[in-house]
Amino acid sequence: MSDSLYTQLLDVTCGAFLLAAVIVLWRRELAAIVRVFALQGVALAALAVLLGAHEERWDLIGVGIGIGALRAGALPYLVRRALAALTEDRQGYATGGTETRETQPLVNVAASLLTAALLTLLAYAVSRPLTDLEPTPATRALPVGLAVVLIGFFVLVTRRRALAQVVGFLLLDNGITATAFLATSGVPLIVELGVSFDVLLAVLVLQILTTRMREAFGTTDIDDLRELHD
Amino acid sequence: MVPAALATASGVGGAGALAGLLLPCRLRVPVVGVLTAGVGAGGGTAGVAALEGSRWAAALPGLVPLAGAHVAVDALAGVFMAVAGAVVVAVAVYGIGYAAGDGPHGLGSRTAQAVLPLFALTLVLVPVAASVSTFLVLWELMALGSLLLVLAEHRERASVWQAGVWYAVMTHLGLMLLLAGFALFAAQAGGETFAALRAGAQGVSPALRGLVFVLVAAAFASKAGTVPLHAWLPRAHPEAPSPVSALMSAAMVNLGVYGLVRTGLDLLGGGPAWWWLGVMAVGGVSAVYGILQAAMAADLKRLLAYSTSENMGLVIVGVGASGLFAAYGDRPLAALALAAALLHVVNHAAFKALLFCAAGSVLRATGLRDLDRLGGLRSRMPATAGLFALAALGAVALPPGNGFISEWLLLQSLIHGFQVPGVAVAVVLPLSVALIALSAGIAAAVFVKALGVGFFSRPRSEQAATAGEAPAPMLAGMGLLAVLCAALALVPGLLGDGLDRAVGAAGLPGSGALTGGGLRVRLADVSASLSPLWVVAALTVALALAAGLPRLCARRRRRAGARLWDCGGGAPTPRMAYTATSFAEPLQRVFDDVLAPEQDVNVTPVRESAYLVERVRFQRRVPDRIEHRLYEPVLRALAGTGQAVRRLAGGSVHLYLGYGFAGLVVLLLALTVGW
Repeated sequence: MSDSLYTQLLDVTCGAFLLAAVIVLWRRELAAIVRVFALQGVALAALAVLLGAHEERWDLIGVGIGIGALRAGALPYLVRRALAALTEDRQGYATGGTETRETQPLVNVAASLLTAALLTLLAYAVSRPLTDLEPTPATRALPVGLAVVLIGFFVLVTRRRALAQVVGFLLLDNGITATAFLATSGVPLIVELGVSFDVLLAVLVLQILTTRMREAFGTTDIDDLRELHD
Repeated sequence: MVPAALATASGVGGAGALAGLLLPCRLRVPVVGVLTAGVGAGGGTAGVAALEGSRWAAALPGLVPLAGAHVAVDALAGVFMAVAGAVVVAVAVYGIGYAAGDGPHGLGSRTAQAVLPLFALTLVLVPVAASVSTFLVLWELMALGSLLLVLAEHRERASVWQAGVWYAVMTHLGLMLLLAGFALFAAQAGGETFAALRAGAQGVSPALRGLVFVLVAAAFASKAGTVPLHAWLPRAHPEAPSPVSALMSAAMVNLGVYGLVRTGLDLLGGGPAWWWLGVMAVGGVSAVYGILQAAMAADLKRLLAYSTSENMGLVIVGVGASGLFAAYGDRPLAALALAAALLHVVNHAAFKALLFCAAGSVLRATGLRDLDRLGGLRSRMPATAGLFALAALGAVALPPGNGFISEWLLLQSLIHGFQVPGVAVAVVLPLSVALIALSAGIAAAVFVKALGVGFFSRPRSEQAATAGEAPAPMLAGMGLLAVLCAALALVPGLLGDGLDRAVGAAGLPGSGALTGGGLRVRLADVSASLSPLWVVAALTVALALAAGLPRLCARRRRRAGARLWDCGGGAPTPRMAYTATSFAEPLQRVFDDVLAPEQDVNVTPVRESAYLVERVRFQRRVPDRIEHRLYEPVLRALAGTGQAVRRLAGGSVHLYLGYGFAGLVVLLLALTVGW
């Protein structure tokens, strides 16, 4: 693979990765958000495989395939199942699908997109010194990972539905993984394995919590939990 | 000799802690008591050896992580080690008898008995530390040990808990100041061993030196219990078991003075006059304020605690005067003032340990600390009463008590300081002399009150009337302290050379300010000398003459027993006698503006008529005014801030997440802009 092709492919994957995060902010339908998240998982896996192929490290390609299986397959599947559990007993009430839509985020969609642009700018500004240390194509793409971290955190702060928040958390984690790959050109298998299991467990627990919340309060709006403090 | 003694003390201390943890209740108290006394003996021996001129320094790299432990013994450390060691020996013997009465609770409990030898060990070892990290570790261990011991009787009284909280908060605030000051000092001087600090101190800018001194001096003054950082002392000392009070008051607070001398005079190498004027002001105010509060106190141990505050104030006046004279270049006088301060530390330790132990015997026998309900103990507890009287004689600073000699030396140094030029000196010295004289005068009233109301007259409660003498170990411990008091009163000259070396180690060498030929205290540079033994002899002869001459001259024998004339008002009852409160009432009137007592008269009329009174309730309290004015606003402000901050935690998950997000973004922005 020639260097210019590698650079172009890397930029395309990183662009898709960032774009997916922005689309998560844009869409309101939870099912669509989960689909976009799965696409982002594919982009992340592609990123890892690309890095592995460029450096001819087969373990990195293995890590990339594992990431793809987890983030484009297992995690979206789990979230989608939680979503289905929320919708299936709701048919009788005809609530207009409030549980499956992010109807009223704390910051509206237009403002969210503007904020995402600002956060991306911030990420570029912050990582400039890091890029200056060793300007390779991979480190030049480093701000993308950081931007996704910030956007994921933003989703976590502004979205009301528990499942949207789960996706926000997963975006954050995707961003961290991408930053790690781009900054160190490859994370050891054992580290990535540990992180992946952590994320998997967290999502399993959050899935159960969401279902329980729904059973106990009839809604998954996190803001309705404010009476729980001391 | 010094390392061997210190190693023995450490080993015995560890064994004592193990014994306290493992042994069954009955064996625990005597074994721990003996081992604790061993700790004291080891530390005391090392201290005495250091006073005789032996020095020792070592680095133990493996003992404390990262920095390693540095230890060094010089004569200045020797004074405090010897004092702590002697007090620990006597109090440990006393504690055997005291804790045996507690059974498995209070001081006899497993925790207290395991901590006691360790606390004794830290008391002895703190002066040995020769680097900042070693010092702070030992200092904190000492604070924690004393805190656990203060809490020993928390099952019996709720007030113990409160006292413990006050003590814990104040001692840790002190530690924070100390940490900040020493960290700044070590960073500026380029090393954390005391040798490096000493070498690097002159290179530090004057403003930073001043800041270091203010931070560190505030921390040490708080440990010494001086106003206005004294609030923990009158709480913790009364609520601790009496042997612990004795250890804290006679050995632990001294280490505040040690720290001040070590840092101010030795490590920082002295400083400008304003440091020492501040120190003298703090000392003078605490001397007078402490003894005034002691005069108002009706609780015997609270009275003694405030008296500790007073005596530490006097010592700190001496230290401040020493620094002041050194700042103006008069080194012989500086050495004399410091020697007087150190001697007062020694004297105060001896009589205050004895006073607390005697108060402990009274508490043990009657269950009372309230002087208003004691009385008549002289006939029931003659030995304790005699020992208390001996110690009180030391505390009132009149001949032939041991406190007299150090206060006389202090006054000598201050009076001769008039020859030092400078406006500040000319203003401050007469004031300090007046303050010392005033505090000595009130101290006389305080201890007349404590002795007269507590031990003489008639018992004012059932418990006081049925009290019994203390058991043998307690009397033995007090006897040791009494011997020390008497020795200090009669032959203080024996300490002369040791004190001279200690003053030399504090950075004022070669003055030979205080030479003692055993029987005399002679001041080399100031033409003054005093022979305590002759003073005592003269006093004894005078007393004998005063008592004997009338008998010799009288024609017929006096009738010894007769009914008192009762003015026709019926036989005198205990309620007619002076109580502690009534005895202090005139003093309270004189110092009304300073003390600001609170009065409360509550008249309840009979229901049928407003003119007929059913009950009148009168209450008067003398609260600690400084505490009232200084601490309560701070506490209120803290509580208010806490309540206000609660509003930030509204319970919304989004809000909490938002804090994190905003924090991250602000941090990143700061990084970007600041790069």
